Amino acid sequence: MYKINAYMNEELNETTYETKLDNGLSVYICKKPGYKKKIGLFGTKYGSVINDFVDIQTKERIQVPDGIAHFLEHKLFEKEGANALDLFSKIGVSSNAYTTFDHTVYYFETCEKFQESIRLLVKLIKEPYFTDENVVKEQGIIGQEIMMGDDDPEYKVYFNSLKAMYQKNNVKIDIAGTVDSISHINKELLYTCYNTFYNLNNMFFVVVGDVDIESTIRLIEDSVNSYSNITIKEDVEVFHHEEPTEINEKEIVEKMDIYLPQIYLAYKLKVAKKEEIIKNALVADIVSQMYFSKMSGFFNEEYNKGVLVENPVLVYEGSSSFSYILLGAQTLKLEEYKKDILEYIERIKKEEVNEELFTTIKNSKIGSLVIEDDNLNSCYRRVIDSILTQTEVYEDVKILNDLTKEDVKIFLNYMTEKNRIVSVIDTKNK
Amino acid sequence: MKQIYKINNNKFNSMYISINFTMKVNREELSKSALLASVMGKSCKKYKTQTEIETYLSKLYGTNFDVNVQKVGELYNIEFRLEQVNKNYLPNKTDVLENNLKFLYEIIFNPYCHENEFDKETVERERVSLLQKIMSKKDDKTAYAVYRTEQLMSNNQIAGEYLFGDEEIVKNITSLQLYKQYEKLLNDSCITVILSGNLDSYEEIDVTIDDIFRKKLESKYLFNELNINSNKNDKVEELEETSELQETNQSTLTFGMRVLNATQQDFYTLNVYNAILGSTPSSKLFQNVREKESLAYTVKSRFYRFNNIIIIYAGIQKANYEKAKKVIHEQLKQIENGEVTTEEFEAAKQSILADLLEWEDSKIAIAKMLFSNLFAFKSDNVTIQEMCEKISNVTLIDVQDIAKRIKTEHIYLLGGEADV
Repeated sequence: MYKINAYMNEELNETTYETKLDNGLSVYICKKPGYKKKIGLFGTKYGSVINDFVDIQTKERIQVPDGIAHFLEHKLFEKEGANALDLFSKIGVSSNAYTTFDHTVYYFETCEKFQESIRLLVKLIKEPYFTDENVVKEQGIIGQEIMMGDDDPEYKVYFNSLKAMYQKNNVKIDIAGTVDSISHINKELLYTCYNTFYNLNNMFFVVVGDVDIESTIRLIEDSVNSYSNITIKEDVEVFHHEEPTEINEKEIVEKMDIYLPQIYLAYKLKVAKKEEIIKNALVADIVSQMYFSKMSGFFNEEYNKGVLVENPVLVYEGSSSFSYILLGAQTLKLEEYKKDILEYIERIKKEEVNEELFTTIKNSKIGSLVIEDDNLNSCYRRVIDSILTQTEVYEDVKILNDLTKEDVKIFLNYMTEKNRIVSVIDTKNK
Repeated sequence: MKQIYKINNNKFNSMYISINFTMKVNREELSKSALLASVMGKSCKKYKTQTEIETYLSKLYGTNFDVNVQKVGELYNIEFRLEQVNKNYLPNKTDVLENNLKFLYEIIFNPYCHENEFDKETVERERVSLLQKIMSKKDDKTAYAVYRTEQLMSNNQIAGEYLFGDEEIVKNITSLQLYKQYEKLLNDSCITVILSGNLDSYEEIDVTIDDIFRKKLESKYLFNELNINSNKNDKVEELEETSELQETNQSTLTFGMRVLNATQQDFYTLNVYNAILGSTPSSKLFQNVREKESLAYTVKSRFYRFNNIIIIYAGIQKANYEKAKKVIHEQLKQIENGEVTTEEFEAAKQSILADLLEWEDSKIAIAKMLFSNLFAFKSDNVTIQEMCEKISNVTLIDVQDIAKRIKTEHIYLLGGEADV
C-alpha cells in the first residue's frame, strides 16, 4: 500500500499530492478546485542528451543514434497506424507530446473524458507498436520537422549557442537529430530504448485539475497494472561523456535570409544540483528584470541609440548534466550591441546591488507566480521541474522568498569572459 | 452608454482588465493606429518612458500591462490590458486595483503630448520600433506565408493590411497627425470594458471605475453598430497561383479559400467544416498530407470568422509541390461530395465542443470569446452552452452544402528555389 504525501502551499492556496506506487511509478496530483479542465501527463526521465547507456535487458552498454528519444516519442504516440493525437481527438480530447534534453512527456487535456483519457494514455505508452514501415514513414515527417527548425532564426541562434558551449554533451545536438542520424534508427533500437527508459521506475504521472485524489491514483494504478510488461523496474545506467569546463568555440556566426539579426551571449557553468537549479532559474529572472528589462538604464540607453527595440532577456537552464545562462537579443546593430553589453556586464558586476530595486522585483516576481498559477500548464511545469531536480513541489516559492541581494551578486559573477560564447544569426542581404 | 462586462469566478487568483477601443479605419488610419498604440503603450504624461512605466508597475506585485492591437474584420481594435493579483492573495491583503485603474486612466487619457501633438522624441522611437516589427515579418516563414495569403485574398481592403501597418505610411506620420488620430480614437470608437477572473472582494468595482474614469468610458457606438465586413463575398474569383522566393530549407504552401454568401449562422457549420478539413489531428489534411503521404510536419487550416475565409498552410519540400496540391484538392473535393465518415464528423464536433468548454478555464480566453461574439454576432448574451448546442446541431448535409460555397482563390508558395 502506498502512502500519499500532501504538499500545501499557502501563497498559492494550492495542494499537490504525491505517491509512489508499488509498481515503481511516481504519481503527482495538483488539485485545482473549480476548474473544468483536467490535464493528465505521462512522462519519462529520458531525453535527447541520453544516447549511451546499459540496455536493461541484455545488460550491455549500447550507443544509439542522435534524435532517437524524439523519434520514439513520435512512434509511441501512434497505435497500429493511427496517430494518438487522432485517437484522442476522436473522443474530443486534445493531446500532445514533446521531447526535451532530459525528459519526454505525453499529455491530454479534457473537461469530460478524464477516465477514458487516462486509460488511453496508459495504453499508448504501455503498448509500443513499431514496424519497419512505420519507422520509414516517420523519417519523412521528422525530416520536415527538422527543416522547419532550420528556417527558424530563433531556434538556430539558440542551438548554435549550445554547440559553441559544449564539446561532448549531447545538448549541443538538435533534439530531433539530423536527417542523417535518424536514417539509422530502426525498430529494434526503438524497442531497446523503450524497454530501458519506459520502465515505471524511470517514469512519472502528473494530473492537474479538480479530481478526487484517491480514486485517481487507483485509476492510474489499475490502468498501468493491466499491462503485463511491468516486470522490469529498476534504475537505468546512463553514461555522459566527461564534459570539459572549457567552452567549445568562442563564436558561431551564421547567415540567413532574414531582416532582423539575432544575438545570444551564453555562459557555460558548472553543473548545478537540486535546489541550486531552481534557485539559479529564479535569480536569472530577477537579474533579467533588474538589469536588462525595459526598466533598466541599459535598455533605455540602447533604445535611444536605436540599437535595441525589444529588451534582452536572460534565462538559466540546468539539468543533471548541463548548466548555462543565455542572454538573447535582436538588433540591427550587432557590433555596437556586443560592445555595449559586454562593457555593461563588467560594470554591473562591480557595482553594489540596489537593495530597494531587488526587493521590488522580488515582490513582483512573487505576484507573477500567483498570476501564472491561474494557468494549469504552469502547475504541471512546476511539478515536472520538481521531479527532474529531485526537489519538493513548491520549493520554488520557498526559495524565492528566501532570496537576498547577495544571490544576485553571486549570479552576476558567473558571467566571465572565459566561459562566454557568442552566437549570431546575421542577415544575408546587407 | 457604458459597456462594462464582468465575468467572475473565484477559482482564479487574479483578474484581467481589458479596455477596448474599436473603430473603423482606412489604410492610412490603420498605420496611424498601430503607431498610436505603440506610443500609448510606452509613455504617458505621468510616466514618460517605458522605464518609468515598468518601474511603477514593478511595485504592484507582478501587474502585467500592455497594449495589444487586433484586426476585427475591417475594424481595428486597440486593447489596453492588465493582469493583477486578487488582494486575497497578497501579503496583508494589499490591494493594487485602484492604483492599476488610475494607471490605465493616465495611459489612455493623459498621453505624453505637448499642446496638440505627441512628444516628438517618443514618436520617433516608437516609429523605429514599429518599422522593425513590420520589416521583420518575413523572418517567421509560416506566419509570413499566411499573412501574404490573407493579403492576396483581401482585394486591397483593410482585412489584408499588415496588423502593424505599412512601411511607407508609418515612415511619414507626423506627431501632429498622430494626435488627430488619438482624438478620433477617443471620439469615434466603440469602447468595451471587460473584467474577467477572480472579482471576489471587489463588489464596489463599478463605483471605483466611475470615480476614476468619470464619463470617459462612455461609448459613442454600441457594439452592434459597427460593420466588420463590407465584402459581400458573393463573387467567384478565378484561381490564381503565386510564388515568392526566399532562401529557405522548407517551402510553405498555402490555399486561400473564400466562403461565398456566408451568414452569421454559418459560423457553426464553418467551424465544423474547418475541423473536418484541417484544424485537428483527426482532420483530413493531417491524416492524409501528414500521416498517409508524409509530405509535411505542419499542415493546418484556419477559419477567419470576421472575414469568412479559410487558409490552409503546409510546410513541404518544393519538389513535392504538385503532389501536395493534388492531395489537398482531393480532401476539399471529398468534403464537397459528402465523403466524410461518421468518425471524422463526430471527431470534428467533439474537438470544437471540448475547446468551447475549456474557454471557461482561462480568464483571458473567455474575455476574448465575449469580445469576438460582440462584433461577429452583434450580441452580448451568447452563452457557451448555446454555442455548444448549435455546434451539436450541425449536420453533415449542412457541411456539404457549405463546402459547395467554398472556393479556392489563391494557391501560394513561399520558399526555396521557387520557379513554379
